[in-house]
Amino acid sequence: MVGGYAPATLEKALRIRAEETVVPYAGGTDLMVQNRKNVEYLFLNKIAELKQIKVDKDYIHIGALVTFTQAINDDKVPQIMKDAISKIAAPAIRNAGTFGGNLGNGSDKADSVLIEFAVDAKVRLMSLKGERIVNVEDFCITRRKIDLKDDELIVEVLLPNKPYKNYIYQKVGGRNSLAISHVAFAGLFEEKDGKIQEFSAAFIADAGRFLRFKDIEQTLIGKSKKEAKNLKDKVIKAYSDKIVLTAGRVSAEYRKTVSLNLLRDFLTWFGV
Amino acid sequence: MYAIKFILNGEQTEYTGNAGDRLLDVLRDTYSLKSVKCGCKEGECGACAVLIDNTLINSCCVAMGAVDEKSIVTMEGFKKTPQFKVLSDAMADFSAVQCGFCIPGMILASHATLLLNPHPSEDEIREGLSGNICRCTGYNAIVKAVKKASEEGDGLW
Ligand SMILES: Cc1cc2nc3c(=O)[nH]c(=O)nc-3n(C[C@H](O)[C@H](O)[C@H](O)COP(=O)(O)OP(=O)(O)OC[C@H]3O[C@@H](n4cnc5c(N)ncnc54)[C@H](O)[C@@H]3O)c2cc1C
Ligand code: FES
Ligand code: FES
Repeated sequence: MVGGYAPATLEKALRIRAEETVVPYAGGTDLMVQNRKNVEYLFLNKIAELKQIKVDKDYIHIGALVTFTQAINDDKVPQIMKDAISKIAAPAIRNAGTFGGNLGNGSDKADSVLIEFAVDAKVRLMSLKGERIVNVEDFCITRRKIDLKDDELIVEVLLPNKPYKNYIYQKVGGRNSLAISHVAFAGLFEEKDGKIQEFSAAFIADAGRFLRFKDIEQTLIGKSKKEAKNLKDKVIKAYSDKIVLTAGRVSAEYRKTVSLNLLRDFLTWFGV
Repeated sequence: MYAIKFILNGEQTEYTGNAGDRLLDVLRDTYSLKSVKCGCKEGECGACAVLIDNTLINSCCVAMGAVDEKSIVTMEGFKKTPQFKVLSDAMADFSAVQCGFCIPGMILASHATLLLNPHPSEDEIREGLSGNICRCTGYNAIVKAVKKASEEGDGLW
């Protein structure tokens, strides 16, 4: 075709990616709005191997070309992810938008990526030279900056394979079907033998990056709920000190207040 | 260089223009399919919605290279189906159309909703149409029409 490539296999796509100057194209919902001029697209939508959702002992593998609609309808995808992606825009966008595109766009408001932050997901990248598996927090550097080399493609997202029983997901936006998150929150909580075993809290707050502070999380791990309760105000204060926001589309003060409210609700919900 | 080959409203079609061209523009300008409306070019209004392989997609968010080997249906093609007749009659019964600008997208979104769920609740209809903006009707008549179509067209979806 004139002005683009539409390979049917990943291997061919990687070859084109290595040899030509091309922009990877998945669902097009970000790219076509950006309306870039004079680019050649590498259309990935014929590559069946990128559209698979698989589970093994350690990970739930979500292919880069899996659309949000496909994932919502797949039993292998955990509910915490479904909660987040079913709030993305409206059906026509969810039918086209993909996991790889959500990552590749480099937005700090990408809803599936927030969940990937909260659950310590990894991203599998490939080039002709081989593959790299990177932690999602290392892949998303800052807004519009991702750790993707010019010859690489995003191949899949790896979510740790576990039950995700106790979690909270909240999105605060404008009109539902258009809402890019103003603030969103994803939190995981697990208790074992009366002690907090897992505590993870990730935020979208228009901060230029996704926010997650593992050092604060650590202060609650191993504590009983009662001990955690005594630390609650201190913990929220620690988040308040770390969440430094500047002007964005909605006021920084509003975003910070909402973020801290969601955190407090999360702790309260799980009895802390 | 090979052409982009796809089925457009049932007919095998070849596009020899640039793979980066926007499907919305090509449908309107090259194939004169004027039911496909341009409301925003940002994926937000649904006026440009078409069916690609029976899935609702906003054509403003699609480059031509992505439709190679796909099947596209616009209102011009959908008009010939029995499902259209049921939806159209139901819309008329509730006077659900005012200026009409949103309606091609709205009808295709209604059809896509019913394809997935032939007997949707009111909430499910509203969710199915949530990407289609209408400036005239206030939506209620449209939602009622889709509900009626789901009853009248029993077995079609
Ligand atoms: C109306 C509207 C509402 C939206 N609402 C939301 C929302 O609520 N939440 C949200 O998170 N997003 C939202 N989005 C943004 C968008 O839909 C998502 O970011 C989506 O996941 C993008 O996926 P895509 O497949 O369409 O990406 P594309 O547009 O195809 O690509 C996006 C970027 O990723 C790169 N890329 C894609 N795939 C790969 C790959 N495999 N390897 C390397 N690079 C790749 C592309 O080069 C490009 O830079 C919205 C968009 C619109 C138009
Ligand atoms: S013109 Fe495509 S969604 Fe508005
Ligand atoms: S009838 Fe006028 S925009 Fe819907």
